[in-house]
Amino acid sequence: MITVQDLTYTYPGATGPALSRLSLTVPAGQVCAVIGANGAGKSTLCHALTGFIPHFFRGTLEGELRVAGLSIPDTQLAELAGTIGLVFQNPFNQITGARFSVLEEVAFGLENLGIAREEILDRCRSALELTGLQDLTDRSPYDLSGGQMQRLAIASMLAMRPRVLVLDEPTAQLDSAGTEAVFLHLRQLASTGQTTVLLVEHKLEWIAAFADRVLVLSEGSLAADGPPRQVLGSADLERAGLRPSRYTLAARRAQELGLASAAPLPVTLEQAVEFLG
Amino acid sequence: MSQGFSLYLARDSGLHRLHPLTKLSLAATLLVAAFALPGPWSSYAVFLLVLLPLAAWGKILPEFLRSVARSVLPFALSLFLIQGLLWPGGSPVAQLGPLSLKAEGLAFALASTGRILMIVSSFLLLALSTRPDLLMIALAQRGFPSTLSYIVVTTIQIVPYFQGKAQAILDAQRSRGLETEGGLRRRLRALLPLIVPLVLSSLLDVEERAIALEARAFGRRGTKTSLQVLSDSRAQSVLRWAILALAPLLLVAGLVR
Amino acid sequence: MARIRQDFGTLTLVMIPVAIAINIAVGQLIYSLKIPLYLDSIGTVLVGVLAGPWAGALTGLLANLIWGLSGLNVFYAPFAAVAAVIGLMAGLFGEGGWLRRWWKVILAGLLTGLVAAAISAPISAYVFGGVTGSGQDVLVAMFRGMGLGILPASFGQGVTSDPLDKMVTYLLVWLIVRGLPSRFKARFPRAGGVV
Repeated sequence: MITVQDLTYTYPGATGPALSRLSLTVPAGQVCAVIGANGAGKSTLCHALTGFIPHFFRGTLEGELRVAGLSIPDTQLAELAGTIGLVFQNPFNQITGARFSVLEEVAFGLENLGIAREEILDRCRSALELTGLQDLTDRSPYDLSGGQMQRLAIASMLAMRPRVLVLDEPTAQLDSAGTEAVFLHLRQLASTGQTTVLLVEHKLEWIAAFADRVLVLSEGSLAADGPPRQVLGSADLERAGLRPSRYTLAARRAQELGLASAAPLPVTLEQAVEFLG
Repeated sequence: MSQGFSLYLARDSGLHRLHPLTKLSLAATLLVAAFALPGPWSSYAVFLLVLLPLAAWGKILPEFLRSVARSVLPFALSLFLIQGLLWPGGSPVAQLGPLSLKAEGLAFALASTGRILMIVSSFLLLALSTRPDLLMIALAQRGFPSTLSYIVVTTIQIVPYFQGKAQAILDAQRSRGLETEGGLRRRLRALLPLIVPLVLSSLLDVEERAIALEARAFGRRGTKTSLQVLSDSRAQSVLRWAILALAPLLLVAGLVR
Repeated sequence: MARIRQDFGTLTLVMIPVAIAINIAVGQLIYSLKIPLYLDSIGTVLVGVLAGPWAGALTGLLANLIWGLSGLNVFYAPFAAVAAVIGLMAGLFGEGGWLRRWWKVILAGLLTGLVAAAISAPISAYVFGGVTGSGQDVLVAMFRGMGLGILPASFGQGVTSDPLDKMVTYLLVWLIVRGLPSRFKARFPRAGGVV
């Protein structure tokens, strides 16, 4: 579903490339987490996979970049919208402002795609249910909490039925309740297996509980790639400038003290309990 | 649902159920009529005989009167005083201390106020009884560019957010006693540097908002559909054309006179 | 036509409601602080300078129509044409590189203010009888007291208020544009006049 080969990208006027000979392949239906230190190129990757690089940000792009069967540099942004979805950090900026109610806001993208009215209603209803907003259809989008707004942004994307959904730190500006809700709904989406999800996140414990695979970006290239527990427990994490979860650190300490075996290190509380038990 | 800073008041009334363009046509024609109708009294007549009953039909009469008063009264007061008292070479009608009210000034003020009353109240009637987003959709269905609809509706919704940010600045200044203690120069010097960061931070959001819009296929060229269906009827369509046809007739009649 | 369409990329389009909201929010703030300026065109001038004359004109036009027809302050609506010209001039000054020198910025503001006063006067005189119900009416009273006709009195009021207001507006916009990151300014092809 996603094929990236030797991707190198430099922002206009920048001294060095933001992505450097990056290669990765994501099969359909996979939930893939991307982590990395600040400046590692995570947002750049998100923009590249959704076509905003190169079409919105310009700059120089080399290498192969194919998502959902489309060659990104050769396809217009307007064509990509609907097939590839993007959710980012700031909930407020993702509300278009062009619609007065939550239901109409979700329908906005579908109207632009020229979908028939009956189908718009169907898709909106199921997207709103999937994100737990079905009781707020008449509310003004600006009357929502930060977490609700972010779920609205996700619902608006889901209604467009993208084959690939890219989320760039969707819970960064949310409190713990908001974060939990977003991950819950993403998990429900992932379980349908119909959408390939690429999620950039910092919250390692959430990633471990929910991603099929973790990619570590460092200075524009791939530093590690594998199942969550393997990657999040390895030393590659620190090499890429990231801090492992406290449970991982505690487990490592336990290993050093000979209190635990060399099993895959835990990342979450549940895994830690199991590890030490 | 809140609708930004629009004046719209939801009511279960026939006026509200009218197609948005019907109400817009009325406001447009009354705008022309305000300049084309003869004498000062015709405007007041239209206000009393057309606009007030319509407001009553729309179940918004108290709010309508309040909004009209708030907009027109300060203006009328200023007009009557300034043009009434200071009309050069006018014929005095009453004494007000050292100054006198001139007949020509009062007549002028009466005519101008009537005109403003008619225009302001017809557009307030429109604003109070019509959802701005539905008005924009109605216009878009007639070929109005969707970019303009986007601008109008989005502005209406985000203005309160910016008013809030500005209010925060105001409150901060007030807590420093600036409004009461500060002289003009001090107020300016304290305020102006706060405007620049307010605007800068707002502009940096613009890039993300553009990305969000593109991700929702806003830039797509093909035909777009609409979730909202506006109720319309043949009768209303005829009514709209009739109302709009009045405008050039009034204009000609006004010019001939 | 193609040039006009190029001016209205999504970025410009999204900027316009933000600019109009800035017009309204700052204009109201200034009013409530009883400062004898309008400062209700900062957004308009900003769009003109960054995105060109047509975008600036549209911003001014829509700003006044929305501000007026929404009922927030009805007296803005008839001056939509004036606001459009302000945006247009801002775009022309921006393209002409006038915002590269602070003294040219002030001059641009002065000229814009004079043109605004000249166009506003007939609208004010004919639609409103020379009066707007605001504090500036004191000036109108003064000119009328001197024996001036309605149109000259309106023009007198405009010439006294507008140039100063627009000079301050242009200076603020100049400071704002200088404070924008160059990566942002580079997105606007016309902002070559200010970068």
